[in-house]
Amino acid sequence: MNFKSIIPIKEVSIKELFSFKMSFSNVTMAMITLGLVALFTAGAITYFIEGHHAYNVTREHPWGLIIGMYVFFVVSSTGLCIMSSIGHVFGVKEFEIIGKRAILGAILTICTGFLVIALEIGHPVRMVIYNILTPGFTSAIWWMGTLYGLYLCFIIFEFIFLIRNDHKWSKIFGLGGLLVGIAAHSNLGAVFGFLIARPIANGVFFPIYFILSAMITGSYLLFLMYGFRYKMNFPKEVEDMLVKLAKILGLLLAILMFFEIWRMLTSIYGGVPGRAEIAKHILMSPNFLVGEVLLGMLIPFIIILVSKGKNIKGLVWASILGMVGIFFMRYDLVHDTQLMPLQLLKIREYQLPPSLVEYFPSFAEIAISIGGIGVCLLVYYFAEKFFNLDYDK
Amino acid sequence: MARYAMALDYKNCINCKACETACKEENGVLLGAQNHRIWVGTKEIEGEFPLLNISSSNFLPSQCQQCSNAPCQEVCPTNATYYDEHGVVRVDSDKCILCSYCMTACPYDARYVDDRTNTVDKCNFCSDTRIARGEITTACQATCPTKVRIFGDLDDPNSEISEVLRTREHFSLKSYLGTDPKLFYLT
Ligand code: SF4
Ligand code: SF4
Ligand code: SF4
Repeated sequence: MNFKSIIPIKEVSIKELFSFKMSFSNVTMAMITLGLVALFTAGAITYFIEGHHAYNVTREHPWGLIIGMYVFFVVSSTGLCIMSSIGHVFGVKEFEIIGKRAILGAILTICTGFLVIALEIGHPVRMVIYNILTPGFTSAIWWMGTLYGLYLCFIIFEFIFLIRNDHKWSKIFGLGGLLVGIAAHSNLGAVFGFLIARPIANGVFFPIYFILSAMITGSYLLFLMYGFRYKMNFPKEVEDMLVKLAKILGLLLAILMFFEIWRMLTSIYGGVPGRAEIAKHILMSPNFLVGEVLLGMLIPFIIILVSKGKNIKGLVWASILGMVGIFFMRYDLVHDTQLMPLQLLKIREYQLPPSLVEYFPSFAEIAISIGGIGVCLLVYYFAEKFFNLDYDK
Repeated sequence: MARYAMALDYKNCINCKACETACKEENGVLLGAQNHRIWVGTKEIEGEFPLLNISSSNFLPSQCQQCSNAPCQEVCPTNATYYDEHGVVRVDSDKCILCSYCMTACPYDARYVDDRTNTVDKCNFCSDTRIARGEITTACQATCPTKVRIFGDLDDPNSEISEVLRTREHFSLKSYLGTDPKLFYLT
């Protein structure tokens, strides 16, 4: 029994590993990827030299861009996992073709998420030790972390069985991964929802919203993955699948917009201190209006609506905007939660009376966060060389 | 076991900041604007000159409220934040992973990052120093010139703090959150 008989990987020579068709889109992608990886490296080096001081987080705004980016990656992972399960767990025929590619994407995005967060929390190794030795069962972070660890194991097994074409076991692990993933992801929402100190985040909204927006993220990513894989020349079965996916995406976006409207209404109505003024602030901010609403929801939604889901190429392009929107959703979530100052009076002579807390990410934070995407793309490139990710009938 | 708490006769505070200084000295808190376990908030005088409302201005000394139902403890994934035998909320810097969850969860902005250990720190009623030496004082309380601060054991009916909480009106900050603080402001 050797490794290859367990996990069927392709024989790839070093030369093949680094050679690809020199088309415009491939070369552009390669340059973007390498640029981002370089950026990530620069950010990580800055962090290793300067420690936490390389970040602009403060005692009033302890969570910064990197936390947002961690959420971004794990939302992507859960989203891909949920969307892929439509096919090979629930048996919807058209969606069976996405299984391998989506699950591989789920594995890579969550690993990137872990990588990014390891550069943010102060003592990642200690975390692994004390998560086991002295678990804090009342902590949403504990549940989120533990469940995501389990989830990663499940989807790795799911992937292995998928590429072995063992549909019985891949289905079992797929179902396990789906359930644990949803539990983990709603717990990630609860990390914010449990903050009684922050009325804008507190409540049941986030655990549910996280699942919904994960499915939307997963759909965008599938459009991007397939758009790039087939360079917009889709075979029939892929096109059928993407049209179906577009219709599901349209429905999900409609629900999301409905959710957001009610979140804003409940936040503003009654003028609860610390909640209403933040909600109004969010409603006025370009991050929300342009980033989340326009790019993240409206443009893709309108394309789906107008073309009845048939404009696949348009949707691939819109998915890029959609992902930018999703990024802003994550960043705003983290940032807006902390906008309201908690100290009641001004505390130092030279400080102005409490106004909204200010934060803008530092170079290291931006480099690690945005660069993380490059790391993910790079590993995806290699994975594509080693595994056969296309559907074999 | 004692159940330590503090009452603050805050209207006597003259904003001399002796307590802040004493705290830094006693507990080795590093210098710098972000590093402080305790602070004194200032409420500006209301009104436009010359119609000023002098009595509207006051000083509000504050610090970790030593919640009996502490959100920071609830959210800590590794139980690095814990209640000690005196009901004081403390941080075990060997277990803290600096996830900063407690910092976002504390409704009083009472926590900061200590650069020496790269972990979260906050007021612990001088548990590492004075209480550990067997004294029943805190540095801020011992140094306050106008006797704003009264520190002691709630479970001892004869302690000064029990006496003062029995006889005087008091409130605690953001009590509507159900955190049940052990810092009491005397009116
Ligand atoms: S005031 Fe903040 S740090 Fe202190 S016990 Fe309460 S929640 Fe924890
Ligand atoms: S920063 Fe430290 S004390 Fe605070 S929640 Fe995380 S592990 Fe616990
Ligand atoms: S030492 Fe006493 S009077 Fe001076 S600032 Fe502190 S609490 Fe106020």
